[in-house]
Amino acid sequence: MRILIVTNLYPPLVIGGYELACSNVAKAMQARGYDVRVLTTWCHLPQTSEMPIWVHRRLDLHWFVPDRPEGTLGERDLHSAICSSYGNTLHLLNSIREFRPDVVSVWNPAGIGGLAMMDLLNQIGVPWTLHLGDRVPIEITETVPRDVLGLFHAQDGSLYERARILSVSQHLLDEIEAVAGITFPHGSDIVAGWADLSDALPHEPYMRGGRARFVAAGGIYPHKGIDLILEASTQLKADNRDFSVDIFGDGDVPRYVDRARSLQVHDRVRFFGPRSQAELVRSYSGYDAFLCPTWERDPFPFAPLEAAGCGTPPIITRNCGTSERLVDGVHCVKIERTVDDLANAMAGVAEGRFDLARIGRAGEQLIRSDFSFDRYLDRIETAFREHARPWRYEAANDPSLPLLAFLKHNLSVSLRFG
Amino acid sequence: MRILIVSNILPPKVLGGYEIACGNVARALAERGHEVFALTAAIELPHTDDPPWISRGLSLHWFHPTEVSDPSVKQWRLHQATCSDFSNTARLIAAVRSFRPDVCYVWNYMGIGGAGLLAALNAADVPWTIHLMDRIPEEIASNTAPHIVSVFGGTLHDLFAPATVIAMSEHLLNEIAESAGLRFTGDVELVPGWLDLPEPHTHLPYRRDGITRFVTAGALQPTKGIDMIVEAAGRLRREGLVFEVAVYGGGNAAPYVDLVNAHGATDVVRLCGARSQAELFGIYAESDAFLFPTWEREPFGFAPIEAAGCATPPIMTRNCGASERLVHGVHCIKIKRDVDALTDVMRDVASGHIDLARLGGTAARLVRQDLSFARWIERIEAVLARCASRPRNRSAVDDPRLEQLAYLQDMLALQMRFA
Amino acid sequence: MSSVRRVAHLTPAYFSPDSYVGGGERYVDYITQAVQGVGGFEQRVFTVGTADGSFERNGFSFRVLGNESSLTGQVNGFSAALWQELPGFDLVHIHQSLTIFGAYSTAIVRSLRIPSVGTDLGGGENTLMLRGRGIELFDGVISISEYARGLLDKSYSGLHEVLVGPVDTSKFSPDPGSARDRSKVLCVSRVVPHKGIDRVIAALPPGLSLTIVGRVYHEPYYELLRRMADGKNVHFVVDADDEKLLQLYRTSGLFVQASTALDIYGNAVAKSELMGLTTLEAMACGLPAVVSNTGSLPELVPDPRFGLVFSGHDQLCTIFGRYSTGLWPENGAGALARAHVINAHSMDAIGNRLTAFYEHVISDHSKQWTQCGS
Repeated sequence: MRILIVTNLYPPLVIGGYELACSNVAKAMQARGYDVRVLTTWCHLPQTSEMPIWVHRRLDLHWFVPDRPEGTLGERDLHSAICSSYGNTLHLLNSIREFRPDVVSVWNPAGIGGLAMMDLLNQIGVPWTLHLGDRVPIEITETVPRDVLGLFHAQDGSLYERARILSVSQHLLDEIEAVAGITFPHGSDIVAGWADLSDALPHEPYMRGGRARFVAAGGIYPHKGIDLILEASTQLKADNRDFSVDIFGDGDVPRYVDRARSLQVHDRVRFFGPRSQAELVRSYSGYDAFLCPTWERDPFPFAPLEAAGCGTPPIITRNCGTSERLVDGVHCVKIERTVDDLANAMAGVAEGRFDLARIGRAGEQLIRSDFSFDRYLDRIETAFREHARPWRYEAANDPSLPLLAFLKHNLSVSLRFG
Repeated sequence: MRILIVSNILPPKVLGGYEIACGNVARALAERGHEVFALTAAIELPHTDDPPWISRGLSLHWFHPTEVSDPSVKQWRLHQATCSDFSNTARLIAAVRSFRPDVCYVWNYMGIGGAGLLAALNAADVPWTIHLMDRIPEEIASNTAPHIVSVFGGTLHDLFAPATVIAMSEHLLNEIAESAGLRFTGDVELVPGWLDLPEPHTHLPYRRDGITRFVTAGALQPTKGIDMIVEAAGRLRREGLVFEVAVYGGGNAAPYVDLVNAHGATDVVRLCGARSQAELFGIYAESDAFLFPTWEREPFGFAPIEAAGCATPPIMTRNCGASERLVHGVHCIKIKRDVDALTDVMRDVASGHIDLARLGGTAARLVRQDLSFARWIERIEAVLARCASRPRNRSAVDDPRLEQLAYLQDMLALQMRFA
Repeated sequence: MSSVRRVAHLTPAYFSPDSYVGGGERYVDYITQAVQGVGGFEQRVFTVGTADGSFERNGFSFRVLGNESSLTGQVNGFSAALWQELPGFDLVHIHQSLTIFGAYSTAIVRSLRIPSVGTDLGGGENTLMLRGRGIELFDGVISISEYARGLLDKSYSGLHEVLVGPVDTSKFSPDPGSARDRSKVLCVSRVVPHKGIDRVIAALPPGLSLTIVGRVYHEPYYELLRRMADGKNVHFVVDADDEKLLQLYRTSGLFVQASTALDIYGNAVAKSELMGLTTLEAMACGLPAVVSNTGSLPELVPDPRFGLVFSGHDQLCTIFGRYSTGLWPENGAGALARAHVINAHSMDAIGNRLTAFYEHVISDHSKQWTQCGS
C-alpha cells in the first residue's frame, strides 16, 4: 500500500503531541513495509541527517508564523491558511501524480489551505482519510464565508463524504456536530492516542517524606491551565501543604515564571523547559500525580495518558478528550476546570485522600493493555486498508485540474476581498 | 557542469521573450550534455511535455489575474515578489543541497522573492550567473528600502557582487545603472537576442501582387506599440494604400478589436492570436516588413531579430535594445516612436519606395552569422564555466543553519517593513 | 442520438419583469425554444433570485436558486446549490459566461465533470475567465456573432461555434394585409448614447420620417435627441409592447441600426452590439436594413441587395439619399432579407446547429474523460 501523508507541521517543527504522532505513524508504517511519503511544509530549524528522503517539504506555511501582519493582510493570510493556497494545492496534485498513493492520509490541514486541498482529493477520487486531532471542520466553517465554502462544496458535510474519518475522541466529533452542524454519515473511527512506555521506570513510593510531588507537561499556555495550577498552588501554600509542582514544556515560560514569583509560589512551582518524550516518561515515576487542568476543548492531550501509564494518576479536566477513556476514581481524578476544584484535588493528594497506588496501578494496566502504540497503529492500518480501493490514477492527470484549482483559488480570494 | 536554473516562470506560461529564452537555453544546455535542474514557479497551464529536470515548485507572487486596490495588499505582494518569500528561499536551499550545482544560473526572479534567493546563494557560496533581459535589479532597488536590502547582505551592489552578469545590451546596463544605481564592476558579458532557426525559410517575393504585408508579434499591450500600429494603419487605409497588417500575440484582444474598428481598419488589420516560434518563422518569410514601434525601455526584443533573420526588415524604435545590433538603412529602418513617423515609413514601404529585398538580405546575413543561437549558447556555456570555476567553499551548502539565517532575514525584513 | 439528452441552461437572470428584461435573458428563452424544436432534449433553466423556487413557462421548467452572493448586480449572483442540482445532466450551457456568475458556475460544473458550453452575452469581462484563462475550462464556446468570436478566440482554444440568432421567423414575419409606408424609417433600440440614434436623426433627410422605438435609459441623451429632432419628422415610442413593435416592423419601409463604439459624448464603448437581434427581427419581417460598421452589425447584412453598412455621417446621408430617390433597394429586397434570416438565423437553423454542437461537445468530453479515467 502506498500512503501519502499530508500534514501542516512535521518534526522538528512541532507544536505538540499531534505532530509527533503523525511522524511516529509515518515512520512505523514505513517500518511495516508500506511505501510512505509525507507532504509537509518547510522547516527553518536545522534538520538531522536522518530525516528520511520520503519527507517532502514542499508546502507553504501560512500559519504559526511570527510577525504576520494584521488587518486585511492578516485576513488574507488566514484565507491562505484555512481555505486555499494555490501553490499548495498544486503540490498536492503533483505528489499524487508522482506517487500514485492508494490512500491519502490528511492530518492537520490548517495553515496550508486545507479546504482547497480536500476539494481536490474529492475531484480526483483518490481514497482519503482525515485524522481529526483538532476541530478543523469547525475552523473551516467559522473562518470561510459561506459563498466561498460553496465553491468548494463545503457548505455542509459534503466535503467529508468520501473521507474516512479518524478522530482522537468522540468528544471532538460531538463538538464538530454541535458547533458546525457537520456529521459524518459514513461513520468515523475513534483512534485515540497512545503511550510509548518503553522508557518507563518502576514507580517510586508515593508521597515520599509526606510531600506531594505534582508534575505537568505540555505547552506553557493559558489554555493548558498553567494559570490554574499557579493559583491552586497559592491556595495549597496558604494551607501549609507540603507539595511541589514541576512543569515541563515550551511556550510562554518567562511570563509564568514571573507570575509564579508574583504569587509567591516560585519556591513550590518550577519550570524546566521542554524535554523529550523519553525523558518525560522516565521522570513520571518520581511523581505522585499529573496535573492536566486543560481546556475543555482539548481534543486529546497525550501527556496524561503517558503519566497514567507510568503509574502517576492524572488530575484531569472532566470533559476534555482524554478523559473519555479514563474512569474517575479508577484511573484518574476528574475535576471541573476551576481553581477551587483543582486545589481541592491537589489537597486531596497531599492529605492522602486518594489511594494513589491503586489508581496508579489501574491506570498503568489500562494504558499498557489498551493504549499501546502497536494497537494504535493497527487501528490506523486497518482503516487505511479498508478505505483504500482501486481508483483511476488517470483522473489526476486531467491537464485542466491546475486551471480549475486556479479559478477556484482566485475566485475565492476575489469573492472574499474584492 | 551541473547547472541549477532559477526562473520565475517557464513555458508554456510566457509573458514575453525572457521566459522563452530561458526555456530554450535550459533545453540547449541539457542537450549539450550538462546536468540541468530548473527551479520555477507552479503554473495553471497544462505542461505535460515538461522534461524531468523542470521542477515547478516555487510560489509566484506576481502576474495575478486580478488586480487589488488595497495598498497594503499591494505592498505585501510586492515585498514577496521582489524582496523575499521564505518558502521559495527554503526550496532553493533544498535544491542546492540535493542537486549540488557547479553554478546557479539565475534568470528573472520577479515574483519569487529575488533578494532572499540571491542572499541564500551568497550564503551557500554557490557561484551564480544572472542573465539580465530586463532591469530586474531595479525591481529590488525601487521596491525595497536600502535598510531592508541590507538585511540580505549589505547594499544592492554587495548583493550582486559575487555574480557573473550576462546582459542583453549596453542599453540595459546603462538603464540599470541609472535607475538602480547599480554598475556591475565584475565579470560582465553581453549576449544579445538571438535567432534559433536551424533551417532558414526562403523569403517569398516582397510585395507580391502589389500588396504590402506588415507583420508584428508580441504581447498585445500598449508598450509594444500595437495602438500606434492600428492608428497608422487606419490613416494609411484612408489614403487608399494597398496593404495589410497581421498582429500575432497573446493577451486580451477585445480592446484591440474595438480599437481596430474605431480606426476603421477592420479590413486591413488582423488580430491573429499567439503562434509558436516555428510558425512565426514561416509567417515572417511571407511578410514584407516587421513592425516594432516598442517603448524605448525595451531591453532588447527577440522578435525583430528573428524577423530580420528571416529576411523581413524590422521597422523599429530607434533607441530600443535591439537597435544596438542593427544599422539603420542597412538592416532595418529606425524610427522615432510616434504615430507620424511610423505612418510615414509604412507609407514608404507600401508605396514601394524602400528596397525591401536589399534590407532583408543584409539583415538575414547579419543575424544568421552574428546572432545565431548556436553561437551564443557557446558563449553562455563559457560564461557559466568561468563562473563555476571560481574558488568556493563547497561545504557551505551543508551548513544546517542556512534556513535559519534565511528565515531570520525574511522575518526581519517583514518586521521592518510592515510592523 | 439514442436517448433524450438532459441539458441545463444556467443564467443569472431570466426574461421576466420578476427578474430582468434584457437581450441576454431573451436570448436564453430563444435558445431553449430552438433546441426544443429539434427534439430529443430535455431542458431546464437554472437561475438565481431572492428566494428558492420553481415554475413552468412556455413548457419549460425554471428553477430559481437563492442568491448567495454578497455582491450587488444581476450578473454577480450565484448559488452553490448547483452542486446538488446538476448531477445527472448531460450538458450544461452557461450563459453570461464572462461574469462572476459564469466563473462560479464554471468552477462547480467543471468539478462535477459535466460537459459545459459557455456563451458571452455581453454581461461582463471577468478577468478570471479571460486573463486567468478560466474560459479554457469550457468544453465548447458558442459565440453569438463573428465579432463576439473575434473577442474571444485569442483566449479560447477549444471547440468554438458562431450562432447568430435565433429569430422566431413565424412571429417576426411580414403581414400581406398591412400596407408599408416606404418613407417610414424605423430604429429599434434602447435610448442610450452608444446606440448612436443621434447619427440617424442627424442624417435624416426631408421626406423621410423616423420612428424610434425603445425605452429611455439615459435622460440627458433623450433630451439631446429631442432637441436634434426639432424640425424633423421624428417620433419616439418609448413604451411599445410586442404587438406594437411587430406592427411597426410590418408597416415601415427601412430599418436602421446605428450603434457606435464611440458615443456622442466621446465615450468609448466596449463590446457594442455583440449581436444585433432587432436587425434580424426587422429583416425577418421583410425590411431592408442599414447598419453601422459597429460590432456584429455588418455581418448581419451580407448582401447589399437588402442591407448596407455605413461608417459615418456622410455615408449614411448618401444611403438615405439613394433610398429617398428609389435607387436602393431594388424591388424584392424585403423578401431576400427574410429568406436570408430564415436560412441562417431561424429557430430551425440555429436549433439544428446548436444541438449538433451539443452532441459534438458531449462526445468529445466523453472521449477525453475516458482517457482521464473518469
